[in-house]
Amino acid sequence: MPKLHYTPREAMAVAASRLIKNGETVIVGTGLPLVAAILAKHTHASDAILIMEAGPYDGYPLALPSCVADPRGFWRVPLICDPVQLMGQFLQKGRINVGLLGGAQVDKYGNINSTCIGDYRNPQVRLEGSGGASDIAALAQRTYIIIAHEKRRLVERVDYLTSPGWRCYRYQDREFIKREELGLRGGPEAVITTMGIMKFHEETKEMYVAEYYADLGITLEMIKENTGFAIDVSQAIPSAPPTEEELQVLRTIVDPEKIYMN
Amino acid sequence: MAIVYELIRQGKKDLHLVTNPGGPENDILIGAGCVKICETNYIGHEVLGHPYCFRRFYEKGGLAKTGYLHDDWTVQTGALRVLAGAMGIPFMPTKSLRGTDIINLEYDLLASIRGENKKLPRKKVELYTDPFWEEGEVVLVPAIKPDVAILHVQVAGEGGTGRIYGGPFLDYYAAMAAKMTILSAEYVTAEEHLRGQPELNTIPAEIVDVVVEIPYGAHPTPVAGLYDVDAEFFNEYIAASKDETTFQKWLQEWVLDLPDHFAYLEKLGIRRLLSLRADPFLGYNPGVKRRRS
Repeated sequence: MPKLHYTPREAMAVAASRLIKNGETVIVGTGLPLVAAILAKHTHASDAILIMEAGPYDGYPLALPSCVADPRGFWRVPLICDPVQLMGQFLQKGRINVGLLGGAQVDKYGNINSTCIGDYRNPQVRLEGSGGASDIAALAQRTYIIIAHEKRRLVERVDYLTSPGWRCYRYQDREFIKREELGLRGGPEAVITTMGIMKFHEETKEMYVAEYYADLGITLEMIKENTGFAIDVSQAIPSAPPTEEELQVLRTIVDPEKIYMN
Repeated sequence: MAIVYELIRQGKKDLHLVTNPGGPENDILIGAGCVKICETNYIGHEVLGHPYCFRRFYEKGGLAKTGYLHDDWTVQTGALRVLAGAMGIPFMPTKSLRGTDIINLEYDLLASIRGENKKLPRKKVELYTDPFWEEGEVVLVPAIKPDVAILHVQVAGEGGTGRIYGGPFLDYYAAMAAKMTILSAEYVTAEEHLRGQPELNTIPAEIVDVVVEIPYGAHPTPVAGLYDVDAEFFNEYIAASKDETTFQKWLQEWVLDLPDHFAYLEKLGIRRLLSLRADPFLGYNPGVKRRRS
């Protein structure tokens, strides 16, 4: 059996898709999260309900949407909602099982930054902003974060806390407190990167390496070198590689135009 | 976008923009120097590229240099704010925002002009404890009270009834919240025609003040069922927007030098416009190329 050829980006998409269980309600923004969700629907989670914050409820798009408002996302959905319903009701009431999020930076507590690199009043880079990510991070039953594994992306503390992880700021005094003290629902359960799958320690809520793409030649040393904080690798096991079917579906059905998988 | 270009042609300045989220309309208005304040949850072009005008006005000393003021929100809170505006109530509670820098008092860029500027709430948010059900702390987000809402729909009646095919987004709430609503449509028809299927109508005529027919009025963005995104246009504009000089050149060519919308359409040309047409059964054009260049 010849060895399968695939990229770290493909490994990341497949690993994320596997975390969606069949029948779950999933909310996604565009990009890798959407690719992972559609891949899941085409493989092991055909009954998953896909929601995009702009309106499509229970989508199963024929062609990959390139933005949340893309008419492709609305093709043959049973219901078109608006953001008041999807974000103000479905999400807020607790009906979203899974949120898949991206971002520019994630810190060791799973906080995400999609707002700015550097100081908020005078950053090096001004990013697009939260979109719906902050709401999803606060209110989904659980979230997964998808991000390329680079030292400048996996950081000790994010420059700006856009979307809350396991430790975040109390409004009144800016104390950096535990998520549960704030009464937020859910939390980030894993960070899926181009090198492996990170999870969060039960007690300390700090990120550690759970799995790594050994099949691609990724090593724990590489992960440590490319992480912007000291990360525990003691529990890491090799990840099960993508199957031929998953890659086939990803390449020929989910994103044949290589809009995101480039 | 047609109306956005016209705002620029007419030299409108010091606009206070609210978008949820924002795209090219936001980036181009900012780049053209029309915007003083923007409240939004996102400005960008998603897969097509980054909002370089917005970045230029914000990063690396941009805020200090241009005087542009930005206010970050989220999709849910932006939606609830315009809902409050539509309901005529001063705020809505939310379980979102806690823990984040979005409500960090140090980062309220509008703080110094609140109070003095009557179009802004006195504070960004307020924290409140549920007095009814012991559900704990919530964040109160202030209503959005626009002077003007600008919407583009597929079909409108001459009297102002708006019909939206595909996603309604927050259009109805924006129209209800605003003092004045400008409704542009791909086609304006007789009011009676829209009475056959009232369940498809989203905007009531009485809250619409101006109706205008603007075919291809959303170009280069898509209109569900009619035409798809013009990725090539986006690629050119985004490339030009990376630099102040090239952006001004692009703006001159595509907005300021063109007298009106029809000149814009003529410049695009028949072949290009027709190539964007949606398959009537899909609602989009499966043949358009959508990669960033």
